[in-house]
Amino acid sequence: MDKSAATDALVQFICDNYLVEKEEVPLDKSLIDEAIIDSFGLIEIASFLENHFSIKIQDNDLIRENFGSIEKMIAFAAGKKTSAD
Amino acid sequence: MQTNIKRCTSCVLSSEFPKIDFDNKDVCNYCRKAEESKNRELTILNSAREKVSKLLAKKNANGQYDAIVCYSGGKDSTYALQLAVEKYDLRVLAFTLDNGFISHVAWDNIRKVVDQLGVDHWVYRPSSTHYKAIARASAVSDVYRKNTLTRISAICNSCISIVNTTALKLALEKDIPYILAGFTLGQIPSNGIVYKNHYRFLAESREESLNKLRSAAGDFVDDYFCISDTLLDRVVEYPHNVNILCVEEITEDEIREKISALGWSSPKDVDGCSSNCMLNTFNNYVHEEVFGYNPYEMELSHLIREGLMTRDEALSKIKDRPEALIKPMMKTLSVRAEDIEHVKWMYEQNK
Repeated sequence: MDKSAATDALVQFICDNYLVEKEEVPLDKSLIDEAIIDSFGLIEIASFLENHFSIKIQDNDLIRENFGSIEKMIAFAAGKKTSAD
Repeated sequence: MQTNIKRCTSCVLSSEFPKIDFDNKDVCNYCRKAEESKNRELTILNSAREKVSKLLAKKNANGQYDAIVCYSGGKDSTYALQLAVEKYDLRVLAFTLDNGFISHVAWDNIRKVVDQLGVDHWVYRPSSTHYKAIARASAVSDVYRKNTLTRISAICNSCISIVNTTALKLALEKDIPYILAGFTLGQIPSNGIVYKNHYRFLAESREESLNKLRSAAGDFVDDYFCISDTLLDRVVEYPHNVNILCVEEITEDEIREKISALGWSSPKDVDGCSSNCMLNTFNNYVHEEVFGYNPYEMELSHLIREGLMTRDEALSKIKDRPEALIKPMMKTLSVRAEDIEHVKWMYEQNK
């Protein structure tokens, strides 16, 4: 999985669904703290990652260390994908 | 009500909708984007269909119920309840939040439908004083971020949060694996059809709004928006939330026809965008005053794009607003015109 392409796809998803421009989406900060998404946004992003990476996210994966920024989400999803393959 | 609003010629999104622009045929960017992402959306939807069907085939071997259905008495949740029982063969506990503003006809509908389907029904009525204080705080403070309110008014958002929290408490207490609701695509994105409300993970993201609600209404809001650690510590697995209507392709008229077999009839004392709640007109009024557009525009536009509603039908729903309901509701909730002006100013400061 190309992490850069996955990052672009996630940023595009966020722009499409949360009415922000690409320049407004930080890769290294919490999307909640930056007022881009709300709690349901986290649920949608988790679902996006499951579909995009063909992974299954478990309850205990849902922690700030995995979802605290776009970089963390991509690293988590890519790691999950690698261990599943 | 505002007139002469510029709207997309294809859907009903208006010129005040966030980040909207129009091409030379006055078609909006949301319609153009929807056309581009049609195939991607279809893939997500087909995958959700398979997921819902597999998930709901598994019944709860350990408890009295397979699913809680959040049942407002409106047409969509009535159809969701009907599907849960008749299509998915689930043992259902119907749950209604009585916010004190459900129309009389809607209550008649609720009683007829639960009896006709033979399901248990659990009604929760928060203290009227508390509910009104929460509604007032939601209307006159910037409790929610602007991005959260593109598809829903602030008061409806608070009400639905109480429904979601109460349903989750109930599911955890009674070991019920599914929470079903009657949201449709347009009200929620396709990625939200099946999900788990992992309460502790999401608590942090709710804190800002909760703090604003506490400060505007009082600490009692925790009783309605929070779940105790004692209950959360017992959680082995969170229930799945499933929006079963999203995987159905059905028009509003077809839904009305299906649920009429259960004795359901359309209330005449609510606005064109609701089929159960008399508070909705006021909620929409505040949203239009503060943000300049109707909170149902997104949902109705989605239905138009999917061919499930005509543009004229959608416009008549938006225009069907019983103005006479607004002033009495402002009095009931102790909201003044200047309170609404003030919250509009607050949101403008946070652009």
